Amino acid sequence: MLKLMQNEWMKLWNKKGTWVMVAIMIVMTAGMMSLMKYISTQNMGGNFTRESMIGDPSSLGGTVLLLTVIVAAGIVASEFSQGTIKMLLTRPVKRWKILTSKFITVNLFGMFLMVIGYVVYILLAIVLFKSGTDQGLSDVWGKSLYMVLLSFGSVFVTSTFAFAVGSVFRSSSLAIGLSLFIYFTGTTISALLAKYEIAKYLLFTHMDLTQFETGMMLVEDMTMPFSLAVLGVYVVVFLVISYTSFVKRDVTA
Amino acid sequence: MKPVVELKNLSKTIGGKKIINDLNLSLYPGTITGFLGPNGAGKTTTIRMMVGLMKQTGGDVVIVGVSLRDNFEEGLSKVGVIVENPEMYKFMSGYKNLVHFARMHKGVTKERIDEVVRQVGMQNRIHEKVGTYSLGMRQRLGLAQALLHRPRFLILDEPTNGLDPAGIREFRTYLRGIAEAEGVAVFVSSHMLSEIELMCDRIAVIQNGKLIDIREMSETKESFYYIEATPVERAKQLLVNEGFSVDDFKSGLLANVEQQQIPGIMRSFVAEGLEVFALQPHKKTLEDEFLEMTGGGQIAETYAK
Repeated sequence: MLKLMQNEWMKLWNKKGTWVMVAIMIVMTAGMMSLMKYISTQNMGGNFTRESMIGDPSSLGGTVLLLTVIVAAGIVASEFSQGTIKMLLTRPVKRWKILTSKFITVNLFGMFLMVIGYVVYILLAIVLFKSGTDQGLSDVWGKSLYMVLLSFGSVFVTSTFAFAVGSVFRSSSLAIGLSLFIYFTGTTISALLAKYEIAKYLLFTHMDLTQFETGMMLVEDMTMPFSLAVLGVYVVVFLVISYTSFVKRDVTA
Repeated sequence: MKPVVELKNLSKTIGGKKIINDLNLSLYPGTITGFLGPNGAGKTTTIRMMVGLMKQTGGDVVIVGVSLRDNFEEGLSKVGVIVENPEMYKFMSGYKNLVHFARMHKGVTKERIDEVVRQVGMQNRIHEKVGTYSLGMRQRLGLAQALLHRPRFLILDEPTNGLDPAGIREFRTYLRGIAEAEGVAVFVSSHMLSEIELMCDRIAVIQNGKLIDIREMSETKESFYYIEATPVERAKQLLVNEGFSVDDFKSGLLANVEQQQIPGIMRSFVAEGLEVFALQPHKKTLEDEFLEMTGGGQIAETYAK
């Protein structure tokens, strides 16, 4: 399994696009920080201190999500479109192992982007923003890391969805499109349906786990364990669909 | 001789239609077996079931005594595959592609990779990206990846596509070499009948999902002579009277005659006052036989493509 992951990792980093994604991650994070700095110097509301910036790095989640979804959507679909799937599956390796190695690689890549983004974010937070006096820097780190972890939740769920769509339909564009559609319209749908019972069980309602920290809840009366349970069910469903279709499929392409 | 690969009552049904129907076939070490059939006969389906790209509906594929149904990984570890054009990862170098596939087999060392690269003569360009390779080089790389793990059984689908004549010849010699030196069973599917004829020891012909013929290439063929003489009817009558089987062929006759009988026929023709224009041995090519076996129509469509 380790060798299979090594393979996926090698293929990933031999694509130019992957390096471009890392560059985009850095540029986007830096751009975002500069914008925040600009807003705070113009005194257009918002009092950003070094501590408050470090305390809430959840804005990283969006960029990481966008980029990870692209990789997740393509990692299985591209093997089909390149025709390399025939080379890959005629090996003495069971198909579920290959799919697992790909799934793990996608998540490792997401984490990697998150770490890169986080490092850039923290560096710029320290460089660009002055320390406030209300709280000590050391108190913030715990919260900061916790927020990163929570914002990775939506990355994980959305990329799992993209991974499943990509492996079932063998089309990365469909997977990217659907995932981003869900990501962007999901919150609106949840907000519209907020008064109905069904909103509680929608994926969109729970995707943003940082809502429990920021207090901006989409639907009332949600708890973290409940959200995690709902997300868990969705993820399991996505993976079951993905695995059964990939393992059973007759490759004719 | 114990077969390396056995297909046992292999069947495949897709959408209620039997694509492959109770196929039985054994492949032996050191033997190159050709696999022929018109388009849509089920060649590719059969091959895909043998390499794990498709699941069989019935029957089994047994490779060196291991059933693919029971133990896929063990069974397939003895197989080297080139399915149609070998598609590689274009964004990586040839070498990295080989490393990639080597990792998926047990016990392929770095030395083995280098050895295979030398064997297929790719050492000068192996570190360049596959995207820059010509089709012929990709074919070589495809062969290299199939040989990495020293397979006991090599399966090739349309292997000479895109090779130039020199390349095809080299490929043939090379294939013959490993089949004999390492006792590898080779199974080649191709549309290029002349190619199969030169390459294979045995051919298996499939049509409509059924195996319709297996034969050794070395089997002594019946000898045919092409005879052109006027008047044709008289000549034909004469031959039939002598007990030969005769067919019309082009502007003359095709008769099933042995060489030593030729002078006798010649004499009788002259005695009868027939004018003889030609009398020459006629070699039935594999193509002729193939068309006879499968009925010409379907293969004609193949060529039209």
